[in-house]
Amino acid sequence: MNSSFHPGESSSHPFHEPTPLPYSIPKVNEVGATSAPLKSSAFFIGAYCKEFNEDFMLCKAENREPAHCLKEGRRVTRCAIDLINKMRENCLQQFEAHWNCLELNNQQYGPCRKPERALNKCMFEKLGLVKTIPGTAPGQTPIHEVDNPLYGRMQK
Amino acid sequence: MSRSMITMSIPFRQDMPPVGGFEAVRYKRNLPLRGPSGLAILGGVTALCAYGFYRVGKGNIEKRELQREKIWSRIHLVPLLLAEGDRDAYRREQAALAREKEIMKEVKDWEVGKSVYNNPRYRSSEYIVVL
Repeated sequence: MNSSFHPGESSSHPFHEPTPLPYSIPKVNEVGATSAPLKSSAFFIGAYCKEFNEDFMLCKAENREPAHCLKEGRRVTRCAIDLINKMRENCLQQFEAHWNCLELNNQQYGPCRKPERALNKCMFEKLGLVKTIPGTAPGQTPIHEVDNPLYGRMQK
Repeated sequence: MSRSMITMSIPFRQDMPPVGGFEAVRYKRNLPLRGPSGLAILGGVTALCAYGFYRVGKGNIEKRELQREKIWSRIHLVPLLLAEGDRDAYRREQAALAREKEIMKEVKDWEVGKSVYNNPRYRSSEYIVVL
């Protein structure tokens, strides 16, 4: 171990801490998905893992220390992995179409309504999960179900 | 030929206005009416602007909804990303504490990981050791 001081900002390589997590902490796989698949599945993660997510956030509100909510955090991650695996088993084609569209459209939902609707339909039929945006005014069509939106792709 | 002879051959005739009188002198402005009236143009422009502003309003509502959708998609991902970050932060903290313990083992009464603040609130570390 070289313990001489290097200022972090002048380092030529990013900081890498090789020490693994203490073995007393149960092992959990990380999700490992990039931003587009996560954004594509965000509302389903919100619907499917609602209880775990809320539990974790309430725990974080108690105490911000990382050690305090490791157990709840593992549950959150396991639930998200479970959901993404289920999505891939049941709606792989629609899922990939949607997140590839997000990749090509600056990760905006607006220009990707067509693949999104196919994905939402498949998710509802196979897994019973519905995309709901909390706080939409009653009687108002949620933005992802508007047929002729004013804003769309600039290029047709 | 004397003067009296001419007067005799052409009978005298008084010059008079044409039968039915002269036609009226046209002194009024004569500008033919062309295109829609000013009122119609003004009304049309007003209507067009009103429709445009209506569309702008609709678009603003839609933009707001799109923004809300984006924010909620991020809110749903916060616990997942925070949990992953917390595990990593915890791992690094434990490693730093072990390192500190090893370095300071010969100093008597050294408390590993003791905060410099007299406050139990958690603070993330301000610096990292680049190995």
